[in-house]
Amino acid sequence: MSPPTPTSQAAPRSSAASRQRASIVAWARDRYEDLELGSVREWLAQEPGRKACGYLPVYVPREVIHAAGMLPVGIHGGGSMEIIRGDAWYQSYICHLPRSVVELGLTGRLDCLSAMLFPSTCDVIRNLSGMWQILSPQTWVRYVDLPQVNDPERAVEFWTGELRHILSGLTALTGKVVDDEALWASIAVYNEMRALIEELYAVRRDEPWRVPSEELYLLLRAGEVVPVEEWLVRAREYLEASAADKNRPRDNARVVLTGAFCEQPPLGLIMTIERAGCYIVDDDLLLGNRMIRGPVAQGGDPLVALARALLHQHRTTSVLYEPDPTGKAREIPERVEAARADGVIFAAPSFCDPALLDRPMLRDGAEKAGIPCIAFKYAENTGQFQQFREQAGTFSDSIKLWVGTRAEQGRVERGRTGAGGEP
Amino acid sequence: MTITAGIDVGSGAVKAVVVDGSAEPRVLAHAAARIRRRDVATVVDEVMGIVLAESGVDRLDYIASTGEGEEIPFATGHFYGMTTHARGALMLDPRARIVLDIGALHTRAVAMDGHGKVLDYKMTSQCASGSGQFLENIARYLGVSLAEVGPLSLTAPKPEGVSSICAVLAETDVINMVSRGIATNDILRGIHDSMAGRFARLLKSLKAEGVVFLSGGLANDIGLQASLADALAAERRNGAEIILSTDPLAIHAGALGAAIWGAFRFHRLGTTGAAWTSTEPLPTHESAR
Repeated sequence: MSPPTPTSQAAPRSSAASRQRASIVAWARDRYEDLELGSVREWLAQEPGRKACGYLPVYVPREVIHAAGMLPVGIHGGGSMEIIRGDAWYQSYICHLPRSVVELGLTGRLDCLSAMLFPSTCDVIRNLSGMWQILSPQTWVRYVDLPQVNDPERAVEFWTGELRHILSGLTALTGKVVDDEALWASIAVYNEMRALIEELYAVRRDEPWRVPSEELYLLLRAGEVVPVEEWLVRAREYLEASAADKNRPRDNARVVLTGAFCEQPPLGLIMTIERAGCYIVDDDLLLGNRMIRGPVAQGGDPLVALARALLHQHRTTSVLYEPDPTGKAREIPERVEAARADGVIFAAPSFCDPALLDRPMLRDGAEKAGIPCIAFKYAENTGQFQQFREQAGTFSDSIKLWVGTRAEQGRVERGRTGAGGEP
Repeated sequence: MTITAGIDVGSGAVKAVVVDGSAEPRVLAHAAARIRRRDVATVVDEVMGIVLAESGVDRLDYIASTGEGEEIPFATGHFYGMTTHARGALMLDPRARIVLDIGALHTRAVAMDGHGKVLDYKMTSQCASGSGQFLENIARYLGVSLAEVGPLSLTAPKPEGVSSICAVLAETDVINMVSRGIATNDILRGIHDSMAGRFARLLKSLKAEGVVFLSGGLANDIGLQASLADALAAERRNGAEIILSTDPLAIHAGALGAAIWGAFRFHRLGTTGAAWTSTEPLPTHESAR
């Protein structure tokens, strides 16, 4: 659908919906800000014998953790938390995420986790898995080796084996016997989660004023630490409330935010980009949530089905093998088209090898397609946003005044510049 | 006729204008109010109320915010400060290709083309010694009103130099000068000279030439204008020819630019509805919620 042009005609707002929306966002924010994992500890305390399994970005099969009877808990660093001991474990040219994860571990904040999964996102996270075995010998630790071969069938075979190993390790902790029925039930609930997240992204793409990225992000962060069943209820309530409590559309540029799939940007950065005049209409924040496109097909061996879904339905990302030499060049133009975006913001964590090594290829593809781009780097503890505000603000202006936005409904051709600023 | 409003929320004051944004933009009303310690939203609502009443318009086609006004809930769109000061300066003096925006906390020099497109910029660093807020603080210490600062500075026979590096050091300099019995006009001119030196270096780093338009809260301080002219005359020996220009509406340059760009966007969007009409409550933070 085409976005409405900005006028005073905002949808009538319901105060009940407004309160409901604010209450859900506050609930999500509490969980996002709680580095002590209070909600996880509460869940564990509700029933004797419950166990939780932490995981690092980008992708782990949460269905398997869930089926094993454990609570999957996303560990996304410490935000602006002061790092005292974590810095001693890494050189200065390593990104910030592992430092704060070590800090969280050494300060006992993660002692409620009985298992930890470290996916093969990069060398730093791989090494962290080894360090964790030394730092936390009581925790079951697994380095999750994602398939990286140009043969989908062999990759499915390999990844199915990996899934079986994870399931066996986790069930050894919980003592639960997991049959196919339990696995299919977990796959079904995560299929629901994937569908709801896709719906939230679609609403934001179509009506970004209805679902601000700050709120969407907080909601997704809450989903990293609460039981999936609880999250589904809250997220549905949020969608309903946001339909009755729309903000006014603004004359903003529509942008794709990319490169932030592992170490997450501070919330202030996301807010700064949107306040400066850019609607984020697609992103790769917390990418693990959307790594598999669409539902995992039911039928056959559930672990094989899960493996097939990852191998055949995954998004293009730096952490999975890209067999097509032109794939990187096409990625951004395809995402921009799908999101009906006006431009791209490459935002990557400092020293993030997967994001920064891909950036030149992705940017080259974008620029060859005539897509306006800007790029910057951040760290999870970045506290000053003025430079981002300046970049995003001038980027939005340059699109609105000199390039043209999609909201102009074809009145202005992309790429036209300098054609007089006179109204 | 396209009627738009521009609201520039600065660190020290809120400025608003209503503009007939047709081919030759025309200012229908303008107003400014100091924020002091008030809630910014209240000041924005107050200033908008004034310009709507003064202009007598029955609709606004686009309401554009700029400066720190990103979160004004009734705004149609927001433009970055440099973009709007450039466009506002171009309207007030079409010869200008550089605008020197002297604000309460920062000063920036912005280079633009003949359409108001920003080409480059340089900004003072974080130290506040080159800012309007600093000058206001000093005036208060000296017991001088802001309106008197410029004329007094022009009468100084022996300007006393102050630190141009740091606001804290400069304030200490001023306290020492007062205790040494230095005349108020000499102190003020010394401060103007110090600020002008920083601005001249800013312009030099931007390789400024031709007409430089002064905008922002200090643009019409005649003492500062004189100091800047002297500082630039010294630079001229190195070959750069700079003509200073300003306008009584220079403090509104950001709001003006926002309103003009708002009209431009209104046409580009092909919008059919107005951002506000007189049949609705006045656009305020409360009514927009």
